[in-house]
Amino acid sequence: MTDSAVLQPDLQQSPWQVDRFIVSTALVGFALLGGLIWLETAPFMVALFAIGTVLGMALYHGAFGFTAGWRNLVVKKRGAGMRAQLLLFAVSSLVMVPMLHSGQEGLVGAVAPVGTSLMVGSFLFGIGMQLGGGCGSGTLFTVGAGNIRMVVTLVFFIAGAVLGSIHLPWWLDQPGFDPVPLVNSFGITGAILVQFVGLGLIAWWVNRIERKAHGSIERDELLWKSQGHGLLRTLFSGRWPFTWAILILAAGNALTLAIGGAPWSITFAFNVWGAKALEVVGVNMAQFEFWTWDYPAMALKDSVLTNIPSVMNFGLLLGAMLAAGLANRFNEASRNRPEGRQFLAAVVGGLLLGYGARLGFGCNIGALFSGIASASLHAWIWFACAFAGSLIGIRLRPWFRLPN
Amino acid sequence: MDKAYSRTRIVVLLGVILALIMADHLSSPTFAFNSGQGNVETALMQRDETACAPCGAPCPSTRD
Repeated sequence: MTDSAVLQPDLQQSPWQVDRFIVSTALVGFALLGGLIWLETAPFMVALFAIGTVLGMALYHGAFGFTAGWRNLVVKKRGAGMRAQLLLFAVSSLVMVPMLHSGQEGLVGAVAPVGTSLMVGSFLFGIGMQLGGGCGSGTLFTVGAGNIRMVVTLVFFIAGAVLGSIHLPWWLDQPGFDPVPLVNSFGITGAILVQFVGLGLIAWWVNRIERKAHGSIERDELLWKSQGHGLLRTLFSGRWPFTWAILILAAGNALTLAIGGAPWSITFAFNVWGAKALEVVGVNMAQFEFWTWDYPAMALKDSVLTNIPSVMNFGLLLGAMLAAGLANRFNEASRNRPEGRQFLAAVVGGLLLGYGARLGFGCNIGALFSGIASASLHAWIWFACAFAGSLIGIRLRPWFRLPN
Repeated sequence: MDKAYSRTRIVVLLGVILALIMADHLSSPTFAFNSGQGNVETALMQRDETACAPCGAPCPSTRD
């Protein structure tokens, strides 16, 4: 979730124009790929593809930015974006923790080991977020919306993820311990309550910063109605109030768990894409330990259409493209060509994002959002370390000619 | 207002991505299975029970 996402202009006064070419192209792409998935895989993969598309639209229309939300708190001392994220985590936690422990077979939470790998990875990821201009989902949806600089970020995100997969076994050998599901210690209700207390404390801290700087807090994250247009136009062309995006993202993650068996994740697909590309040019990925583990080995060997994160990412890209077309803003962010240093930031940021995501077991979606929705301790440590890294990234941005 | 993109580039780019997906799929176990080839293990319903994270990363203690 990115910088450019929150820079959607106020569409209040402008007449609504749809970019028919982009909308048609996105719909044709959706039909073609959806048809192929239907024919070659299974109906549940089509459902996940469709969910990915809706999530892509929600991310674009909701302008729901982790990266910008964190930066707004640090630089502008504004906390609405941050509070929206905390609300999202709370809602998802309330729905998904009981789902995961309902006794239904085949559901796996986003729980990961806690240790050096997680801390280093999430810290690097935090730096990368601010330099690359977005996290995993943010990079994808801005690429879908036609942002050229983010294409560079994505390419190096993929490269960094593959490098991270090669190094991950070494990092896992460093000090650390097995996953800590909070439900084991506190029970389902207790784990939810503990997380609510944690989220509440962060919200209190965010509010304190905002009040101290501005005297009061803006409650944009609680808006239900668009400040510009009517319901229908807002639904199709944006910009959605935060609450809409929160509900869609929470529902999307819960549905992904119910249908796919695991919460929403993004960055594992980048690993698979990068590893497949290397195999095409003759690199034997099986020589690296990560790619001998059952799940990655099978994902590498089989079609991307059988890989849930890949299929959902394809949907996300098309959903963002569709949303950008409906808002008549496709590729708008690339109208002013970025400078060399801004491209360099995309390269460095992308590498840090990819490497960090692999070591940290995912991005803001797979590790943070889905991790908290699974009541896993690793998500909280990921949050703290990524935020610390983000502070460094924010300080580095001016050198790369990126606005703060 | 002028468009900020080239239609041709977008169609070509999406075509290339679709071709790559197709090429990957046509050489996959799932396609072989769909073509009637038996004894092919596909990833479609795979669950890695030794995994900690959804990406399949194992716990440190379960790694040999």
